[in-house]
Amino acid sequence: MNSITFIGRRLLQIVPVLIGISLVSFFLIMMIPGDPVRIVLGPRATEAAVAAMRQEWGLDRPIWAQYLSYVGNTLTGDLGQSLKFRVPVLDLVLQYLPRTMFLVAYVLVLSLPATILMAVIAARNEGRWPDQLIRVISILGMTIPVFWLGVLFARYFGVKLGWFPVSGYGEGFVDHLHHLFLPAVSTSLWLAPLLTRNLRAALIEQTEADYVAASRAKGLPEGYIFRRHILRNSVLPTLNLLGVMIAFLIGGSVVVEIVYAVPGLGALMVGSVLGRDYFVIQGLTLVYAIATVAITLAIDIFTAAIDPRTSE
Amino acid sequence: MALRFAHLLTAAAMALVCAGPAMADKIRIGSPYPTTTLDPIRSANAGSIETFGQLYSRLLRVDETGALAPGLAEKWDVSADGTVVTLTLRDAKFSNGDPITADDVVFSLLRVRDTPDSAYPAPMQMLDKAEAVDAHTVKLTLKSAFAPFLGNLEVFNIGIVSKKDVEARGDKAFVENVVTSGPYMVEKWVPNDRLLIAPNPNYWREGYPKNDGAELIEVADSNTRVSMMLSGELDAAREIPWSQVAEVQANENIEMPLEPSTVIYIVLMNQTRAPFDKLEGRQAAAMALDTAAMSNAVTFGAATPANSTLPNALKFYDPTLKVNGFDPAAAKAALEASGYDGREITILITDEPEREKQAVLMQALWGQIGIKSKIEKTDAGTFWTRLTEGDYDATPTWWYNETTDPDLAVRWSVCGTCGNKSYYTNYENAEVDRLVEAGAAERDETKRAQIYADIQRITTTEVADIPLYYPPFANAYSKKLTGLRMTPALQWTLEGAEITK
Amino acid sequence: MTDVVSPAPVHPAAPRFRHGTIEAALGAALLLAWLIAAFGAGVFAPYDPNALDLVAMLTPPDAAHWFGTDHLGRDVLSRVIYGARIDIWMGFAGVIAPLAVGVTVGLIAGYFGGLTDTILMRIVDITVAFPFFILVIAIVGVLGPGLVNYIIALALVAWVAYARLVRAEVLVVKRLEYVQAARALGFSDPVIILRHVLPNVLGSITIYAWTDAVMVILAGASLGFLGLGAQPPTAEWGVMIADGQPYVLQAWWICLFPGIAMVTLSLGFILVSDGLSRRLRVSA
Repeated sequence: MNSITFIGRRLLQIVPVLIGISLVSFFLIMMIPGDPVRIVLGPRATEAAVAAMRQEWGLDRPIWAQYLSYVGNTLTGDLGQSLKFRVPVLDLVLQYLPRTMFLVAYVLVLSLPATILMAVIAARNEGRWPDQLIRVISILGMTIPVFWLGVLFARYFGVKLGWFPVSGYGEGFVDHLHHLFLPAVSTSLWLAPLLTRNLRAALIEQTEADYVAASRAKGLPEGYIFRRHILRNSVLPTLNLLGVMIAFLIGGSVVVEIVYAVPGLGALMVGSVLGRDYFVIQGLTLVYAIATVAITLAIDIFTAAIDPRTSE
Repeated sequence: MALRFAHLLTAAAMALVCAGPAMADKIRIGSPYPTTTLDPIRSANAGSIETFGQLYSRLLRVDETGALAPGLAEKWDVSADGTVVTLTLRDAKFSNGDPITADDVVFSLLRVRDTPDSAYPAPMQMLDKAEAVDAHTVKLTLKSAFAPFLGNLEVFNIGIVSKKDVEARGDKAFVENVVTSGPYMVEKWVPNDRLLIAPNPNYWREGYPKNDGAELIEVADSNTRVSMMLSGELDAAREIPWSQVAEVQANENIEMPLEPSTVIYIVLMNQTRAPFDKLEGRQAAAMALDTAAMSNAVTFGAATPANSTLPNALKFYDPTLKVNGFDPAAAKAALEASGYDGREITILITDEPEREKQAVLMQALWGQIGIKSKIEKTDAGTFWTRLTEGDYDATPTWWYNETTDPDLAVRWSVCGTCGNKSYYTNYENAEVDRLVEAGAAERDETKRAQIYADIQRITTTEVADIPLYYPPFANAYSKKLTGLRMTPALQWTLEGAEITK
Repeated sequence: MTDVVSPAPVHPAAPRFRHGTIEAALGAALLLAWLIAAFGAGVFAPYDPNALDLVAMLTPPDAAHWFGTDHLGRDVLSRVIYGARIDIWMGFAGVIAPLAVGVTVGLIAGYFGGLTDTILMRIVDITVAFPFFILVIAIVGVLGPGLVNYIIALALVAWVAYARLVRAEVLVVKRLEYVQAARALGFSDPVIILRHVLPNVLGSITIYAWTDAVMVILAGASLGFLGLGAQPPTAEWGVMIADGQPYVLQAWWICLFPGIAMVTLSLGFILVSDGLSRRLRVSA
């Protein structure tokens, strides 16, 4: 009962957010210099051709009129057409959504166990060599640029050893796993350290909490205290960070997508901004905003389930 | 929860069983240039025009020796005064089985010329009237005698499309179930990723295509293209970075023939802005650039330093022309004579690595004679808008010509009255403009040669732009592949390619 | 797995305090070394970082060029040293700009609550639900590429994390007795915020900020890869790595040395952050 109102309230909050996002994205994108029509038609098109296409697509109208018709169309479920490809925006988004989701899930499957393992080892050995080693590895993982690592991985594991394909998405589930292995590992290499640092800090903080000392005084076994209290209370901040990072990955894995030639939503986003493909940008920000809110909501519900205090 | 997991497993298993058809028999070609549309009149961008050639047949085609050969037109005849071209079509069919008629030809040609937002109407500008005499005969009347017209019938956007289908479905006709007239038809298009093409069973050329189709894959990153080539995930790749040509050539399974192209790299200067508004200023800028060293630094010796405003693969290109060569002392003197006030100019570039290298070199070489500059990098969208609006000082860029005839080339790059202000430099010389028209109307080859030699001499001397170098195509091909090359006009000879796997 | 979570003795607090100090000192030393390199670049760098040498392109490291030369014959060592100026500046500016915005918003939202809080937090929601790269590319597109505009873009995007952090802290601090007391004594809101609330939230902000500096530098490198980073011929580590990427196999040194520079600078930032957080924890 309580949780239903909680979810309901969160869903209501999304409305002003969506309005705000549509306003910001629309006017911001329109402000970027660079004419989408010129990009689509190429440098050889005449001025007359450019003007004709602007008119055909309604890009010559006042910007507020364009915004209103955009909102109107969106409300009826029509996200419009891509200026560049002349195909419906929804088709484009749906084409890439599964790949991106697959990659994100893959990254999580690889990162989360590694994160928990490394954070626990580091926290239990705070200040000693395993902790320091994990820290150095973490910093390396976080600082090596993906586009640099990608080339080395591709040449070594792909070309020299021939273990993994260096590009593409493949056909079928197992093939996806095979093709996306290098991209997923490359992404996990910076995500896992980031989460590890966060979880390690929380674990150490919890270890020193009063209630842990109290449990210890009561003579509860250390393993029990650790699993039941410390770990459980430590995952909350990391979960929040994880939510933010999942949202980031949906649009932010563009570098990995380019390096391994597996275009997904990230490459589509960057390509649309660079090509000023207005309606695709609008559609993508909308999808992204909804996804972000959904992820945050899921994390909140999950948090509430673990720790009833937060839902008050 | 457990139930949902079971569902997932089932879905995974089904995905495994339903794994798509093996695509091992398709020729996989990687290119940084995307196919953005399947409608031949909608784009003049590199990726799209490579695709158009595979999907739509033109009336004439260029054979392996570079000569014009019959395409959809079996025979053609030019009237004595050169103003009427009559073509006889062969019995050919569209991919959906409909016959290709004179009506379709008239429709396709006029569509290029008359559609308001046609991306490149230039090749059909001299076309006055197009008529279908009967189902197999097309009569084209020109505004005046025009020597390069037959060659223009081979340009990428003059492909023949189905009148019936396009009139019925409009834009949709080029998105799903696309009706084609060329060697291939569309199997699957994933915009922003790849295009799968399959042989057109109704293609008019007997025995072609000689393969099971191709997968045209967009690979933006050059390192990735090389990795894919080396790991055998591609059978051919466009634009191997110059720095890796040696490494790729060393691979025993790959060949890189470095085919000649009509590409030319140049520096555009806005001739309404100082110091480029003065002839001396432009000559100073030209003589300051050590094009041999630049060409070597950027392409590692693969390109030829340029001496003319026209590409070296064009007919009537003049290899003997030698003006405004590298001479820092003369450049300094010319700059002084131009009255340049030391204003810092901006070198505008797009974000491609090669462009950046050129800009840094220009900055250094111009700096040596006293032209101060800063580099401004923008994305391609802003770049083209600013260039076409004339909002720039100088920029290194490139262009290529669709045919080997120089007519379209001079109209594009040095003509002040042809609509684009000499590639947006605002260069204008009435004598050149007159020669451009004279060259098009002249049908005597020797006289034409002289006209185009004059145009090259005048525009290179007056520095309409600064020619940098002529690069070959840095394409890589798997040795399992035979018969695939890129013509100077940016078209793959895909239909004759064979692959053994 | 069970072995991993098996109990370990809790360490006493004293050595940890020392650890924290050592870490912070080590980090500070790394940062200081880079600062010295940056300020003394003119003295330390053997060459002009932008001087081309078309005869000596892609020279491997040798006596004349310790870190080799890049694809235009520029001395990599000199570029790495000069790059420190840009990257350190980027790390600091890229943190301070969003920090200033975020702390202000967070303080106001948390302290005043009510409608002000609701409106500001909705703005936070909007910014969070906006794809980071689209926003940065769009802002850089509007303002033009270059580092200053990247920092402005960050200030407009990355403040959210600080705002949330500060707001949460303020909500706790607000209830503390002395803040209540200050209010009862009739101190004005700005005074209470600046004198009593701000100092209390600065600790956790500082720790986050040092780590954030690393993310700023890394995101800058990604922008360099997308062609939106520092303008050429500026020597900036991220752009150097991105530019060197096509040569990574023939000329590993172009990427490796700026890479090492980035790792060590990041290490400095993170060690300071970790050290500070430990000390803070112990003294709290």
